[in-house]
This record gives sequence, C-alpha cells and structure tokens, in this order.
Amino acid sequence: MGLVAQLCLNTLQIGAVYVLFSLGLTLVFGVMKVINFAHGQFFTLAALLIAAAMPAFTVQLALPVWLDYLVSFVLAMIAVSLLAAALYFIGFERYLRDLVGSFILSLGLLLLLEGIYLWLFTGAPRVVAKVLPGQISLAGAAMETQRLVICGLSLAFTMALYQFVQHSRLGKALRAVAEDREAAMLQGIRYRRTSFYGFMIGSGLAALSGGLLAPLTPITPALGSDYLTKAFIIIIIGGLGSIPGAILGGFLIAMIESVAGYYFDLSYATIAMFALVIAFLLVRREGMLGHAQR
Amino acid sequence: MPSARVDTAELPHTATHRARVGPLLTTLGAASVLAFALLTPDEYDQHLVMWVGLNAVLAVSLRFVLLVGETNIATGAFYGIGAYVAALCTVNFGVPFPLALLAGGIVATLVSAAFGLITLRAKGPYFMLISFAFTEVMRLIYTRIDYIGGNSGIMGVFPPQSLDPLMPALTVLLCGGLVLALYLCERSDLGRVFRAIENNDAIVETIGINVMSVKLLCLILASFAVGVAGALHAHIYNVISPGDFSYLVPVFALAYVKIGGDSHVLGAVLGAGLLTLVAQALEGAGALEQILFGGAIVAAMLVLPDGLWGAGKRLLGLLWR
Repeated sequence: MGLVAQLCLNTLQIGAVYVLFSLGLTLVFGVMKVINFAHGQFFTLAALLIAAAMPAFTVQLALPVWLDYLVSFVLAMIAVSLLAAALYFIGFERYLRDLVGSFILSLGLLLLLEGIYLWLFTGAPRVVAKVLPGQISLAGAAMETQRLVICGLSLAFTMALYQFVQHSRLGKALRAVAEDREAAMLQGIRYRRTSFYGFMIGSGLAALSGGLLAPLTPITPALGSDYLTKAFIIIIIGGLGSIPGAILGGFLIAMIESVAGYYFDLSYATIAMFALVIAFLLVRREGMLGHAQR
Repeated sequence: MPSARVDTAELPHTATHRARVGPLLTTLGAASVLAFALLTPDEYDQHLVMWVGLNAVLAVSLRFVLLVGETNIATGAFYGIGAYVAALCTVNFGVPFPLALLAGGIVATLVSAAFGLITLRAKGPYFMLISFAFTEVMRLIYTRIDYIGGNSGIMGVFPPQSLDPLMPALTVLLCGGLVLALYLCERSDLGRVFRAIENNDAIVETIGINVMSVKLLCLILASFAVGVAGALHAHIYNVISPGDFSYLVPVFALAYVKIGGDSHVLGAVLGAGLLTLVAQALEGAGALEQILFGGAIVAAMLVLPDGLWGAGKRLLGLLWR
C-alpha cells in the first residue's frame, strides 16, 4: 500500500510540472501551428533567474524565504514575458503556420539562448533554498511539504487555465483559431492578435512551470532541453493542440516514468514512452483527444 | 509587379542559358573539391572536406523527404544505425570495407521501411515529432546495449590501411554520388509524384497512385543514402558513441537545408558546406560558439527567408535584366 501511494504521489508531482510545460507547447501549436523548439528556454530562464535572484534578495532585504521566492518568481515571470514578446515580434510573427520555417527559427533561438544562459549563469548547477521545510506523510508515503504545495499549485494553475480556455472570450477565440483559422476569422476573431496572446500564455506557462520546479531540482542552462523530448511525446499522445489531451498525456507519461523508473531505469521509461507512441499511432493516429491533422 | 510582364519574353532564353551554365559550374565545383581532397596534405583540411561531404548527404537526404512534405528528423537515427552496423561489420566480423558500407546502408533501409510503414500513417507535425522522438530513443537504445559498447560506443573502426590516403577523395566521391543519385530521382517522374503528394495527396490518390507506398519509397531511398553516410562516418572518425547521433544531427541538417535554400538540391549542399565551415571556425569558443551559431541561424531565417540559394537566384535575376 505504501509503495502504491508513493508511486501515485510521485506521478502526481512529476506530472503536474509536465502538464503545465506541455500545455504551453500545445497551446502555441494549436493557435500558431508552430512547434516551438525554444519553449524550454522560457522554462529554463525562469528557473535560472529565480535561482540567481533569491540568494541576492536574502542578503540584501533579509526577507523570509517564501516571500523571497514569491518576489523573484514575479520578477522572473515579467522578464520571461518581455523576452517572449520580443521573440514573437522579431521572429515568430513572420513564420505563423510555417511548420518547418518556425521550427528552424526556434532551433536557432534554442542554441542562441542556451549559449547566452551559459555565458551569463555558467554551467554549474544552482540549488534554490527550501521554500517550505519539513515532510508530510500521506497513506504511508512520505513527501517534502514544499513538493506537495508546489504540486497543488500546479494543479490549481492547470485547472484555472482549463476554465479560462473553456469559458472566457479569449479562451474561446484561442480554441476557435486552433480548430479552423478561416472560420474563426469569418466570425470576427482577430487572428494575429489572438495568436500573439496564445504565444504569450504558452510562454508564460513554460515560465510558470520552470519557476515552480526551481526549488525542487538543481538548475542548469540545459534543464529545458531535457523536458522538451518528453513534452513532444506528451502532446503527440494527447493530440497536438488539445488541452485536455496534454493534461491526460502529462499524467500518463509521469506514471510510466515513476513506475518504470522505480523498477528499472529512467532510460527504459523513455523507451517505453516511445513504444506507447507507436501503439497510439497504430490505433488512433490523432492522439487520445486530438482531431485528425489536415 | 509591373516588370514581371516585360520579363516573360526573355525568360526562356535566360532559362536555357542558365541550364547550360549550371551543370558546368557544378561539375567544376565538384571536381575542384575532389582535387582539393586528393591533394591537400593537411590532415585537418582532409577531415573538414569529409565532414562537409557527410553533412551534405544528411541535408540532401532530409530535403529528399521534404519533397513529399514530411520533415524527417529520424534521419539522425538512420545515420546512427548505418554507422553502428558498419562499425560492427568492420570491428567484430572483419567484413571487407565496401561491404560494410553497403551493410550500413541496407540495414538503415530496412529499419526505415519498418519505421515508415507505421509512422507514415501520420503526417505533418505528428510525423515530425515522432521522427524526433525516434532519433532520441535510438540514441538511448545504443547506450543500453552492452554488445555495441553502451555509453562508450565502438572504438577502432578503421578503413583498410591501403585506402587511408584516399579516404578524403573516396568520401567526396561517394557523398557526391549519393547526392547526385537522389537528385536524379528528384528530376525523374518519381520526383514529380513526390511534388504532387506534397501539394495535394488526396488528388494523387484519386489518379490511382498509392500515396503511402510512394512516400515509403521516398523515405527508404533517403535512408539508404544516409545509412551509407553513417557507415562512412564511423570509418572516418574511427570512434562512434551514442552521443554522436542525437537529435542535433538531423536538426542541424534541417538548418543547412533551410539556410542554403530548399528550392534546389545545391542549396542544401551549399548550406551544409557553409555552416559546417562556420561551426568549425567557432569550435572551442565555448558558450560563444553556441551564441554565434544560433545567432547565425536566427539571422539567416530573418534576413533570407528562402535561403542563400533563393537570395542568389534573385540577385542573378536582377543582374541578368
């Protein structure tokens, strides 16, 4: 029982970050038909900025750790949003709906940004101070308090985003554009503006997941790239552009990873994920919840 | 475009004129690269020439699958499979060098056929992401198999000693041959079917052409070329390890194609040559290397949306007028 509870908890906490990360990727794809290879760089920047800013704040302002975290989190989100807006207007706007072109552009951005991070922050792993110390045990499974809180926060953000996309005006516009751009434009939805908002929300989600992950793992400039392959698998399984699909896919992949990672080895978990993708293709090529791609 | 109408009268003339000049220039260029590969005494230059050759095959093979409208990131996996198979043939079984190259190509072809049968059911972004994942998973699989050296890979993959001085020229010839073969396929009727599938596969299907098998054929041809190139890679570098075949290999090849210009096969070759030389010049600059290389790709995408080939053509068009 303890083991099952532990594996479930692990799934939940790994999955929560995966879901936020892949939601951004799938949202950007849905609206812009762009696969943003540099998505992980927003994630990394947020985590790096928090890791760099927190020690400085602690010394300068003598704030409690959680407030420190909050302040640097907000600052990191602002910085990432500015970067995302700049990248959108300089580059991505010209490559809307151009799969290959935008892919190469974002590849260049991936290398460029990773180089800049290496240069600014060096490659040494940074560790963020524990935001909430202590441990909690639940049904025989132990977990750090801060992990549980962060996991809860990720779930709350995911739920909020889901509600937003389902019910708000902008959310409906995003879904309409993802479904059929021309029809959406005929309804008076401004495509360019909507795709800009979609890109900003998607990048914001990447930064959010990076910021939430920051206290849980050592942070290096290469962090985002590790998450990217898994996010690709998640959004294929869930269906490209599908938000519920990304949520389900994220937890499915997290479950495979925590179970296979417990019994075997993490690289087997990745191989198992690929086998799953192949199986999905044979049965249902548009993913769990996606529409057939035209 | 008011001037376009005036130009049409001149167009046929310019086209035939260029058609005669083009192959001549290409042959001259290829011959001079070959001569350079044969004559240069510098080992570093020899390696550079071979590296450009291999990257050109990668880029052209990737572009070949782009003709049917699919972005085949699995190119990296087939390159790795070719390299591993050829290395095993040479090191463990003592197979003669030409047969080892052929084996690399054939096994890559077989694996690509199985891969294509399943994955070509998907297209566009799905195929792109799946082929991406395939390359990464193959890399992980190499690290897990002890027989092929796990994480450290295979060492001591040497071509026969008598061939050693000829390796650069041989590589240029083989790579040039593969590029030419793929180009001839593209120019044939088959190439026209490829283009038609890219434009509208439903119409092609209604004419009675089996789109799935044509796409599979396209993938297989491209993978054979890349498998042979991978086999050459193993014998040129003498050491291979899983890290050599990460997703960066095909992703860079895609950058060569796009920056060189994807409208013509020589654009891909041009891009491969140029970016390989840039990467080589930046080698060892650490973080700066990534910044400059990534910056070069971004700049090229922003300034030259149809690549160097397209920009060159436009420039020539201006001069010809």
